[in-house]
Amino acid sequence: MNDLFLTVLAGLQIGAIYAMLALGLTLIFGTLGVVNFAHGALYVIAIYAAVQVAINVDFTVALIVVPLFLFVVGVVFERGVIRFFYDRPHTDQILVTFGLAIVVEEVAKWLFGANNIPFPRPDWGDGVIIFYGPGAVIPPVPVFQEAPQLWLPFIDGFVTFDYWRIILIGVTIVAVSVLFYLLQFTRFGLIVRAGMRDSDMVQFLGINIARRFAMVVGLGAAIAGVAGLFGGPILGVTPDQGMKLLVPSFLVVVIGGMGSLAGAVLAAVIIGLSLAFTADNPDIQAVIIYLIAVVVLLFRPRGLLGRKGVFE
Amino acid sequence: MTMTKKGASRRSVLRGSAALAGTALVTPHFFVKNAWAQGECATVGNFPVEGPTVTFGFNVPMTGAYADEGADQLRALQLAQKHINEGGGILATLQPLALTGQGVLGKQVVHVTGDTQTNPDAARQSARRMIERDGVIMFCGGSSSATAVTRQYLAQEMGIVYMHGLTHANETTGVDRRRYGFRQFFNTHMTGLALGPILANEYGGDRAAFHLTADYNWGHSMSGSIKDATEAQGWNTVGNIATPLGATDYSQFLVSVLNSDADVLILNHYGNDMVNSVTQAVQFGMRDLQKNGRDVQIVVPLYSRLMARGAGDNVEGVFGTTNWNWTKDNPGALAFVSAFEEEYGFPPSQAAHTAYVQCILYANACEMAGTFYAPEVIRTLEGMTYSGDGYDSESLYRAEDHQSFHDILVVRGKAPSARTSEFDLLQIVDTVPRSVVEYPIDTFPGELGEYCPA
Repeated sequence: MNDLFLTVLAGLQIGAIYAMLALGLTLIFGTLGVVNFAHGALYVIAIYAAVQVAINVDFTVALIVVPLFLFVVGVVFERGVIRFFYDRPHTDQILVTFGLAIVVEEVAKWLFGANNIPFPRPDWGDGVIIFYGPGAVIPPVPVFQEAPQLWLPFIDGFVTFDYWRIILIGVTIVAVSVLFYLLQFTRFGLIVRAGMRDSDMVQFLGINIARRFAMVVGLGAAIAGVAGLFGGPILGVTPDQGMKLLVPSFLVVVIGGMGSLAGAVLAAVIIGLSLAFTADNPDIQAVIIYLIAVVVLLFRPRGLLGRKGVFE
Repeated sequence: MTMTKKGASRRSVLRGSAALAGTALVTPHFFVKNAWAQGECATVGNFPVEGPTVTFGFNVPMTGAYADEGADQLRALQLAQKHINEGGGILATLQPLALTGQGVLGKQVVHVTGDTQTNPDAARQSARRMIERDGVIMFCGGSSSATAVTRQYLAQEMGIVYMHGLTHANETTGVDRRRYGFRQFFNTHMTGLALGPILANEYGGDRAAFHLTADYNWGHSMSGSIKDATEAQGWNTVGNIATPLGATDYSQFLVSVLNSDADVLILNHYGNDMVNSVTQAVQFGMRDLQKNGRDVQIVVPLYSRLMARGAGDNVEGVFGTTNWNWTKDNPGALAFVSAFEEEYGFPPSQAAHTAYVQCILYANACEMAGTFYAPEVIRTLEGMTYSGDGYDSESLYRAEDHQSFHDILVVRGKAPSARTSEFDLLQIVDTVPRSVVEYPIDTFPGELGEYCPA
């Protein structure tokens, strides 16, 4: 049971990073119809910004500054590049955003080198969390005695897990919830959703939809900022992180259904768990997410929760 | 028939020619500069070298996962070029020494660079371009065994000597050894020979080890060597998971380790894989756990200062091996480190050291052979013993497999409080002498191939 529990936790945590990046990807695609291959580059900007602020100022400051900074980067990115490609074919969008991603990666390498920059965690997120069951005896060492502890009836003895990863799962749940709330229950969300259906009609009603769309890209970038803040201390701070995460995140979007936020979250959980449960079989693990993609697209060509008319 | 007094007869000319030819045949070739050029092989690479300069190829990763190592190698290779042309560095300590600090065989060394991209196909193309377009007489450098092996085969095919950079898999001088390839860097078998006894001494002889192994030729080579070495000390290997090269998240693998009986985690990773895996193992509390009544330990068999820097404080107390370290205080190391620091303002890495030494050794061999003709240069390097290259004792380039044998270092990560600078990350636990890590030639099968390119 301990084995199963830890594997599920690992899967959820892997899925959490993919979910946050996929949310930004699918949000931008769903609203603007743009396939943004530069989303991984936004993550790279986020991890470098986060580690610099965390080292030179404080992680708490980074918590506020980095998402805001990424929001601004996103808006500039939309105004400076993306808006010129709204009416262009998807291949053009992919080429320009992929090119931008390469430029960002190489600039990061030039500025900071190819090696990892250690990302120190704040004290409140450092160490392990202990899950223990009936009759467990926690070793009398300070690192365990001072660690957060959670009683679970099905645990045999006790197990430890990286506390930061539990925080990451929590942050992802919060980010997803806030985004859903924003899009479903606010005036901003209503306009954006209307714009997704028929942007011309929304403009005829006197609403500046272009400004809302810029904010959507900013929002997607800000979520990448949050992903970088909490993913950087786990996955490392190297220039190639964005490219490494981009393909699985994009697959998450495709499996979940292009433009579907709920689909992205569901697919991220499925991908995360499938990677965790196949960890002992590297040959299967190497192809599992592609297998899932093939099977899902065979039976549901629009993805798990994809809607008719999107990307068709 | 009588001979005329005025000139030579046809017969006397023939006799004279035959005598001259016979004399030439019995005369040892080493007395005659460039002698082999006329007899042994039809053509060899870019020999002969025309003009006042000779071109070396510096073929290193400028992009990709090992770009920082490549950058340090490039610095070292440019420094080696400077020392060959102008003197300095280990030219003051290397023995035997034929270089005079005025170039090689009267020619100034110039260089071209190429990016291996840490990718075998790109590395091969880059090396081929240097050979065909730029006319290099030798190329040097690199990081990753996959790129090393592919370029070594190219070197053999094209008759250009390749002085390896950082390649640690046994195969490079084992089953894939080539006449035109030379490796100064140590290998995974030598790591096992050096590290195994020290691990057993430090942690006991009845440990249970779990390996996480990078899923490519070096990773499997490393895992096999450490498994053999630790099991010879009485350890038990309870698991081994092949992890994808370039993996970012190791949580799913670390969970398997947590759920096993292993009390030692061996991370057969290099580069950012090592940085990520060791960091995440520490984040999972591995260093604080106890299993089987003992503290859980982490081992990283192949260390690099550049990577230790990337892993930060997480390398504290973690054992591993390294080919060389800038804190060595023998004359060769001091000469190289001071020259490097003077040029660049910080100490060199082991990647820089191996590239630097390789470049100087090649140039020195050319000078000793009196030719750039590759078969002669290769013969000069084969079986050569030398000192003053940064090690405490004499080094050997074994003739049969082109593997260099020298001291290697067992190190462990320093505690942050024990560091004197941002580069002072590794504490040398033991300098393991060449005699301990030198293994019989039949340990690994392999054939070097011919002196003539094929």
